[in-house]
Amino acid sequence: MTLFRTRPPIWLALAATIVLFTALPVTAQEPAPEKADAETADQTDGADEAGSGDDEEEVSVPPGAELQVSPTELTLEVGDKASLAATVVDEDGEPIEGVDVVFFSRNRRRLGVNPAGEVEAHGPGDVTVIALVPKQVEDEPRRAEALLRVEVEVTIPNPPVESVEIVDLPGAFYAGTHLPLHARVVDITDVVRDNVDVTYSSSDSAVAAPDGFGGLDLVEPGQTTLTATAEDASYQVEITVAPNPTQRLELTASADEARTGDVVWFEAVGLDGDGNAVDDLPVRFLVAGQAATRILAPGATAQIEQDGAFVAERSGIYTVTALAGNHSASHPVRITPRRVNKEVEFVGQGKVSDRRTSDLWVWEGTDGNDYAITGTWGAEGHAYVWDVTNPESIVLIDAVRVDARTVNDVKVSEDGRVAVISREGASNRKNGFVVLDVSEPQVGVRILSRFDDQLRGGVHNVFIHDEHVYALSNGRRFDVISIEDPTQPYRVGRFELETPGHSIHDVWVVDGVAFTSNWDDGVVAIDVGGAGMGGAPNNPVQLGSYAYPSGWNHAAYPYRSESTGKFYVFAGDEAFPYGELGRDPRAAPPRAAGWIHVIAWDDWENPREVARYQVPEAGTHNLWIEDDIMYVAYYNGGLRVVDVSGELRGDLYRQGREIGMFMPFDPDALVPNAPFVWGPQPYKDHIFFSDWHSGLWAVKLKDPDDPHRIIGEPH
Amino acid sequence: MRTSTSWLPSWAAPVALVAGAATVAPAPGRAETDPVPPSRNYYAYVCAESEDEVSLIRFGPSGVEVTKTITVGSFPAEIEGPHGINISAGGRYWYVSIAHGNPFGSIHKYETGTDEWLGDVKVGMFPATLDIAATTGLLFVVNSDFYGDHVPSTISVVETSSMTEIAQFTSGTMPHGARLSRDGRKLYSVNMMDDELVEVDALRFEVGRRLKLGAKAGLSAAHGDHGDHQTAASHGGAHADAAVEPSWVTPPTADGLVYITALSGNAIYEVDTGEWKVTRRFDTPAGPYNAAVGPDESLLVVTYKKSDSIGFWDLETGSEVARLATTRRIPHGVAITSDGRFSLVTVEGIGGEPGVVEVYDNGALRRVAQIDIGKQAGGIALWEPN
Repeated sequence: MTLFRTRPPIWLALAATIVLFTALPVTAQEPAPEKADAETADQTDGADEAGSGDDEEEVSVPPGAELQVSPTELTLEVGDKASLAATVVDEDGEPIEGVDVVFFSRNRRRLGVNPAGEVEAHGPGDVTVIALVPKQVEDEPRRAEALLRVEVEVTIPNPPVESVEIVDLPGAFYAGTHLPLHARVVDITDVVRDNVDVTYSSSDSAVAAPDGFGGLDLVEPGQTTLTATAEDASYQVEITVAPNPTQRLELTASADEARTGDVVWFEAVGLDGDGNAVDDLPVRFLVAGQAATRILAPGATAQIEQDGAFVAERSGIYTVTALAGNHSASHPVRITPRRVNKEVEFVGQGKVSDRRTSDLWVWEGTDGNDYAITGTWGAEGHAYVWDVTNPESIVLIDAVRVDARTVNDVKVSEDGRVAVISREGASNRKNGFVVLDVSEPQVGVRILSRFDDQLRGGVHNVFIHDEHVYALSNGRRFDVISIEDPTQPYRVGRFELETPGHSIHDVWVVDGVAFTSNWDDGVVAIDVGGAGMGGAPNNPVQLGSYAYPSGWNHAAYPYRSESTGKFYVFAGDEAFPYGELGRDPRAAPPRAAGWIHVIAWDDWENPREVARYQVPEAGTHNLWIEDDIMYVAYYNGGLRVVDVSGELRGDLYRQGREIGMFMPFDPDALVPNAPFVWGPQPYKDHIFFSDWHSGLWAVKLKDPDDPHRIIGEPH
Repeated sequence: MRTSTSWLPSWAAPVALVAGAATVAPAPGRAETDPVPPSRNYYAYVCAESEDEVSLIRFGPSGVEVTKTITVGSFPAEIEGPHGINISAGGRYWYVSIAHGNPFGSIHKYETGTDEWLGDVKVGMFPATLDIAATTGLLFVVNSDFYGDHVPSTISVVETSSMTEIAQFTSGTMPHGARLSRDGRKLYSVNMMDDELVEVDALRFEVGRRLKLGAKAGLSAAHGDHGDHQTAASHGGAHADAAVEPSWVTPPTADGLVYITALSGNAIYEVDTGEWKVTRRFDTPAGPYNAAVGPDESLLVVTYKKSDSIGFWDLETGSEVARLATTRRIPHGVAITSDGRFSLVTVEGIGGEPGVVEVYDNGALRRVAQIDIGKQAGGIALWEPN
């Protein structure tokens, strides 16, 4: 908010073209505090004219006038205030008073400005303050810009550093070894900073010497004072470097031979002269090697993390080396191709080419036959029911139409009797979801109930778990609705994050734990009765969360590895637009970016991202995991089938874990030959998936005709 | 390019009046002339909210046609909902509110003619109606938050040169409709769930005055003569206990009058912004939603969202001179050409039906053309190419 008024000169009172008001003497208005202004406004009611602008009249500004703002630039510390003085002068330099000047900040979170031009710095950065004089309505009405306008650049430097501390130092320091150093920097506003240069020095570099890259070389036994400096703050710690008792470094591997993508664990132990392990010995792992000779120009082929986890992307012979001071040990490991590739064979299609297809669910009906339900997108509010008992001959057996334009999500209860479909674009803007009786699909699917209470804003995704529907509401929260009696749903609970600007996109419930996908807030785990933390459908309890920087979290699939017992959450991105690609679907089919983030989450409080599955030039949508195989709808990248057995580290795509892929080209599709795979579901030896442009598909894996034939990259 | 049937056959035929609305057949003085085809072209940008499209419509001597369709938004696999649209003074840019985001909606800026995307800015929850001040270049958009809990929401102010949100202040519960005074100093909006009109100081970025509409105004006796309450009583008080749910406010006339549609109150309120009171109240069919005043300020055209019709009101007499059925269900927006000859009305349709832009001859009080666009036609803004 931002108004400043200068005093009008007498000559203006005589000008016929201007309108003045009786209370002329307006200098810069003394602004009330913003909160007080707001309260006043809120109390205004009916004929109360508080705040009325009736006494405000326009003052003409003659040609050649100039807006002058002083100072013309400004530097403020966080928390500082200052005043900008605005003056409108005529071409002779004489002040013109009574002219409204509007101030605003282009970054009000960093710098606020009030109507009198008083600025206050809230956070560091370079911020532009604009001062402008509105045009008069008679002035060139076809140009939308201010009459006079001045920009004032305000510089707000980062707050000074208050403290720096060297953290995570080991319990012992041994000559000849190397340590990474870590510092914690806090500024005077109590913000932990990671954008401050920290320099290290040693009082005796013969004992320990910083390497200039954030590490410390421990040279010889002795004492030294280590100093970390960040701006004017410093921190000192005295360390004693002891002789390295290590006589021998022993390096062991969990396997001598493995496949690409397998994690081989290396452990290095320093042993003293008595054969005892040396505590706190810093060990660094390195890897070198030679990819198989048939792989030309292989690029980076293997990695080892400093916890000893080694994984290779290409077959070959690799040597892992452990370093601890003057001691080293090496261990070779043979990596063979993973060879999990299969062919993905087309089985059948339930073609939908007159509208877009959204999600799917496949289930065994109470009659023993197999059925699928698919939604439609941006159309007439249909959900289609298919008989997929014979996947080679997918038969549309029923269609349900509801008041919606998009049925984005479809789910079927565990007993196969009830389905829930989401609604968006209802003509009366009351969306919610619809409960269907799917117990006898061959007889017909009928609507049991509709539920839109507090779900009017559109239900984008739903999940059914233990006679409850978990339904997203307006992209802000999920509501829990009992469908114990599916003809009379009723709400029992809800869950909403409290973070600023939170937004939820999906929910998936397994064993009484709901996993939600929340864009910037990442994946959130919530106990709804299965985690033993007091949660229930009517009392959801948050267990933990994991967010990643891109803010693209769109889906999450929780999965406990059958081969390792480890618990992972596979978090999928949705990232549009992919640069300018696909911004206009009339120019080209849409394209997405994004990948699958693999989060190791055995401890609710300590999730850790350990691996990724990223197909170049395409982006993920929905996913499913079963029997240590991940099925990913990769939009324009088609259907992807990925081996996720064993421990997971690194880049799964480059490790040759992809079992197969299928691109559903269809010349008769809504957009011909433009795969855009929406959702997958493995079911009874087949893989069903929906494609946005072409409907429901069934494929299956089969052993390759020629197991030695390599398609794509050799591993 | 979608093109309507030829001009003459479509406009020559009288439009069916709404059943049971004989009392609002075109008044003789209003409908003496037959429609006259336009001698020039008129252009309008129109939102298709459930298609994520904006269509450029040309209506002229050769009929009405969609000359271009622009896909808007960023997520092709999510419906983002272009809702409100407006054009800067001078006609160089058009701005559209994208209702849905994660969670906040946004305003996108395009160049007229080329329809090149120039930038966007995130604002509040479900941004809807927007207007741009010719005198400052600032854009005001109401964050309607249609679907959230009924808590107070905000109005955002955007500097359009840099597409920066420079202010966001509380207005009320479910603000909708936003129209600036010609001098850009006042913004008028209504809070649908508070049954009130607000006047915003568009230079200070804060609500200055509030005016309760309908029965709630009458409860505030301490505030004296509200006019609207008295007017409601004088009209029989048919909706005295019902919510008003104001949904739209027109820009002030030269005399400072604004017209407010009461979506649930089934009425139009005339408010004198100088006196800050309701001066007249007109009963309407169910669901008046948007409205526009003609350039000579004698004609008010209203969409009746719940009655699938539009009404033409003589503002001098305060009478509805014609009520015409729309071709599909749920009429939404209306804009009147700068010469006052035609009204362009958007009709949402339901389900998979296309949205429609219908053109009415304001003199003959007939629909003279129509054309389908994407689903859920809504916001509409006339564009005058230089």
